[in-house]
Amino acid sequence: MKSGSNLEKVILSGNPAVTAELGPPMSADPHEVIKKANILKGFCDAANITDCQTAVVRISSIAAAALAYREGLEPVMQMTCRDRNRIAIQADLLGAAALGLKNCLCLAGDHQKFSAAGRLKGHPGAKNVYDVDTCQLVGILKKMRDEGLQEGGDPLEAAPKFFVGASWTPMGDPIDFRPVNLLKKVNAGADFIQTQGIYDIELFRSQMEKIRNMGLHERTAILGGIIVPKSAMMLKYMDSSVAGVSVPKALIDRMNKAKAAAGDDKKKMRELQEAEGLKLTVELIHQILETPGVKGVHIQAIEWETAIEGIVKAAGLYPRPTFTE
Amino acid sequence: MSGGPATENKGTHLERAAALKETRPYSPCRAACPVNTDVQAYVGFIAQGRYAEAFEVIRSVNPIASACSVICHHPCEQACRRCSVDEPLSVRHLKRFALEQAADYRRSKRRLIEKTKNKSIGIIGSGPSGLTAANDLADMGYKVTIYERHPVLGGMLATAIPSYRLPREALKEDIDDVISKGIEVKTNCEIGKDVALKDVMAKHDAVLLALGLSLSRSLNIPGVEGQGVLLAIPFLADVAFNKKPDLGNRVLVVGGGNVAMDVARAARRLGIKDVEMVCLESAEEMPAWKWEVDEAVDEGIKIHHRWGPKAVKREGDKVKGLEVTKVLSVFDAERRFSPTFDNNQTTLIEADTIIITIGQMANVKFLKDSPVQVDERGRVTWDPKTQMSSARGVFCSGEVVTGPGSAIAAAASGHRSAIAIHLYLQGEAIEGALPTYQKEKLPELPADVVEKINREPRKKIKHLPAETRCSSFVPFEFGYDELEALEEAGRCRGCAGGAVVDTKKCMACLTCRRVCPYGAPVVQAYSEINPERCQACGLCAPECPAQAISMVSYDVRGPRDTMPEIVGAVDPKRQEPVIVAFLCTHHVGVKGFELPENVRKVPVHCTSRIDVNDLLKAFECGADGVAVVRCGNGSCKYKGVEGRVTARTEHAKKLIAMLGMEAGRIGLLTADAGNGKSYAAACAEFSGRVKEMGLKDAK
Amino acid sequence: MIVGSQKSIDEIWNMVKDFKKVLVFGCNTCVAISHAGGGKEAETIATLLRMRASQEGKSMEVDHTDVMRHCEPEYFEPVMDELKKYDLILSTACGVGVNFLSQRIGKIPVYPGVNTSFYGAVEAPGQFVELCAGCGNCILHLTGGICPVARCSKTLMNGPCGGTNKGKCEIGPEVDCAWYLIVERMKELGTLDKLAEIQPVRNWSTSRDGGPRRVSLEHIRAYEEGEARKSETAGGNK
Repeated sequence: MKSGSNLEKVILSGNPAVTAELGPPMSADPHEVIKKANILKGFCDAANITDCQTAVVRISSIAAAALAYREGLEPVMQMTCRDRNRIAIQADLLGAAALGLKNCLCLAGDHQKFSAAGRLKGHPGAKNVYDVDTCQLVGILKKMRDEGLQEGGDPLEAAPKFFVGASWTPMGDPIDFRPVNLLKKVNAGADFIQTQGIYDIELFRSQMEKIRNMGLHERTAILGGIIVPKSAMMLKYMDSSVAGVSVPKALIDRMNKAKAAAGDDKKKMRELQEAEGLKLTVELIHQILETPGVKGVHIQAIEWETAIEGIVKAAGLYPRPTFTE
Repeated sequence: MSGGPATENKGTHLERAAALKETRPYSPCRAACPVNTDVQAYVGFIAQGRYAEAFEVIRSVNPIASACSVICHHPCEQACRRCSVDEPLSVRHLKRFALEQAADYRRSKRRLIEKTKNKSIGIIGSGPSGLTAANDLADMGYKVTIYERHPVLGGMLATAIPSYRLPREALKEDIDDVISKGIEVKTNCEIGKDVALKDVMAKHDAVLLALGLSLSRSLNIPGVEGQGVLLAIPFLADVAFNKKPDLGNRVLVVGGGNVAMDVARAARRLGIKDVEMVCLESAEEMPAWKWEVDEAVDEGIKIHHRWGPKAVKREGDKVKGLEVTKVLSVFDAERRFSPTFDNNQTTLIEADTIIITIGQMANVKFLKDSPVQVDERGRVTWDPKTQMSSARGVFCSGEVVTGPGSAIAAAASGHRSAIAIHLYLQGEAIEGALPTYQKEKLPELPADVVEKINREPRKKIKHLPAETRCSSFVPFEFGYDELEALEEAGRCRGCAGGAVVDTKKCMACLTCRRVCPYGAPVVQAYSEINPERCQACGLCAPECPAQAISMVSYDVRGPRDTMPEIVGAVDPKRQEPVIVAFLCTHHVGVKGFELPENVRKVPVHCTSRIDVNDLLKAFECGADGVAVVRCGNGSCKYKGVEGRVTARTEHAKKLIAMLGMEAGRIGLLTADAGNGKSYAAACAEFSGRVKEMGLKDAK
Repeated sequence: MIVGSQKSIDEIWNMVKDFKKVLVFGCNTCVAISHAGGGKEAETIATLLRMRASQEGKSMEVDHTDVMRHCEPEYFEPVMDELKKYDLILSTACGVGVNFLSQRIGKIPVYPGVNTSFYGAVEAPGQFVELCAGCGNCILHLTGGICPVARCSKTLMNGPCGGTNKGKCEIGPEVDCAWYLIVERMKELGTLDKLAEIQPVRNWSTSRDGGPRRVSLEHIRAYEEGEARKSETAGGNK
């Protein structure tokens, strides 16, 4: 075992892994994190604690992860390349390990211009860092863990033992380069991969076929990403505007149909769409898990953590495996 | 540092550009002119309605400008690069128009020139070359005396060219210009008769023989002696001095040159209905200008081509006609004049009077036994490199030494002689110092440039109908009216008047290359604007980020540097806004605008020439609004102007907006080309809009 | 070349408003090409400042002039005496020129009249594009001639990231994804396989991060310094 994290154990056990996502608040109050951790606890093997996602200042991933960890939810801390240079990154990694964190997902990070896709002011005038990129960051974590060395070569008295993850956008363009993209992350040392949200199963499967041909599915644990849809509008937006996400028309139509069934009733409109979204999510989970080479699912119920319980249960993924030390 | 008007800008732009022009190929019109008249420059002024300046350009090299404006054979037109577009520019008529427009100005400029040089020159003859030399020498401060055997000055211009072609008032303007400089004139003074050559030579430090070719050649054929056979020059002199020779009913003119045309057409105007001509040459071979021949034919003159005179047939004393022999050929294989005849083919052309017009020669009898040598053929011996005869201090000029030619060519010779005399009197070497008037010229317009030039036919000149004009010596050509002249001058493409790059400032940024619609700039280490292609539109200069481009034909900084004077004092209590209007002068000329009182005019010859900084400068100087008024109706002479000018005004709007001013204070307007009132209307309407925004400092 | 862009007149005015005699000093090389700070633009700025001064009722003399380049002293030395007649030089050269002149002009302040934007090319008339970041360690041979340092919003050495959307960058649909371009270009060159290699963590010390940089050519410096020593020992002025 590389890290001994729960997530690593589930993957090694051969059970389909389930990860979820916990977005920290724009607040110095820990209760929101604690509340969400308790909602998710027991329904996933680990939960990603986002690192200032969409370039918006929130409780840091490490701090929120430590809070969640205290509540008994295994966190996957995130580390973006946007905000820290290699010195800060490694220092934070040592600190995170010291706090007991065992999973780390390496990300480039949304550009500072993102500012919650324009919904918030954010900090578009910030200076970004990008001293290292995702691939290099994965390599740094691996080097620290396996060689006990800092990137610069100085030794570490105790190495941080992280289960190292990276993201992958299987359907992003240039689509024929995406398998190489994954290859590089795996070569760099990614133990697990969480993908961008998948709706177009056919396309995902054809990309997975390439991955299997490259043997990458055996060298890393690929968890297929699912973004829980709440409405037809959300699906349309993701199809048109979210990089690497394409939503088949049939899915949008299904959601539209659900919406139409509500007539003019706004509340009902939302309820019917959410219900259809949950149904759709469960179907997607099955389709992804049926795809050869996939080791689990990463379910993102953005600002809707309460949905996870139902989804996991409906998908037949409950209860989650437990391990005795 | 450049803040206000640049102090080094002395003189007119034309004067400042003169040296530059010498380093570049001439426009073909200028190169073709025997005195290198800067045609492009003065036509450019005419197109802008700046007639006094046009006059200055013309007069600066041509003391017989008015004469030329009616009689010149205008080699400039034959050389015009517009020939490859449609038709050449009507240069001579434009010259005439400018001179007529500038008449008062011209008279007001006449000044006595101070005699700064204590030397005197005697000039024998007052034709084009003598007058020109007198003019130049007087300008240089010499004392000049003209000796003229006729009662009037002008030589052949006054005594041989009929007044229907050269109105004497026009000639008088030229002569008055020269004489007003303070030249002593001795008319009715024939050398060898009224005064001896040796006395003239003794009296003056230098003498110029500008004798012309004042004797007509005659024919050596039977019957030529006796009444009824006249020689051209005496005949024309009689006509000139209003003596009406008795010609009978039928006149036959022998000869096919331009003088023969004058003779025949003068005879027609003396009331002779039956005027015929006979010449050795075919219609194509005739030396007379084709337009002269056409006009003569229009006037009912019949021309017998390819007949050579054999004998004058008489009945008693009275002439019956001319027996002529068929000409087989005029020129030999080397194109030399060597006529051959078929003596078996003869005919009689009946006539009461025969006027022989087969060429002229100099009257050099008075040179006999003088230090001035004359060769066996009656030609004065001279050295073209120094213009000097065999006698030291005696110079020659004009047709007496060059042989028959045009008036303007004789004037060129006069210029050379004046310089030669000046150098001689100053003890300087003459050889190699005289102007040749031979200059490199621009080649023809490249075909792709020709394609980009609007086709605009030459403005036709109106003539009196043939039947009317033959009844008197009234000039038969009507000049242009102002609108016609502006239109015609606007056809000029400004050859050699275009853009020049200051290579010290250019950093080869390619802006001009991108801006030019004609592909003129070639950019390597720096930009060079190929004058062969440049249309002098001026689109490039205001775009140059290094301000490295200037224009030969106008001052690109002119509007900005003179803006304080243009705007003048701005009354803080004014009721109407001060508007500075940049107005395209094409089609209307500078004087053609009838603008409201509150509008300050900045004439630009195409709005392509305005710079963003010109517009800003107008505001800086106190304008409440700035208008750019383009000529409308698709009448722009150049390509690509509208888009660029729009972009510039839009940019200027953004800049003034940064100062909190309304963008609407800058207006890009259009007016009807040629309609001065419509420019005024556009300005007035704009002025109203600006008034609503308020007066700038009155707020 | 260095691409400059104009500052607003408000910003410039706030810099210069308390001076009496201001010279707008244009540079006729890079910033002229980008129509930001050549002689023409210097004249424009000078005119606008005079207008602004008049609006504000301030008495201020504003002139303009220009030289070919501000980054080599030989170019501005001939006008140095003229420059010293002003209270303030508003340089429309790039930042290099402002620094360079500041060091040489004594007590007169030199203020920036333009923003120095980037090293770029003229993509189309009036359109300038950043293509190099001057990082001091060129790897363009590895990326198909397309620079990820200058052209990737995240300076990724192992791109693309997940933000590529229809060939465009996540920061905006008007920005090309450099890594999309790199992949397409490498495909075209038949060298796509090279991109499978992981580019290691970079040494940024050759870039701005390494502190102010200097390039010194030994062969030229050795000569120049030798000459300087000679003239010193000879006691003469060079």
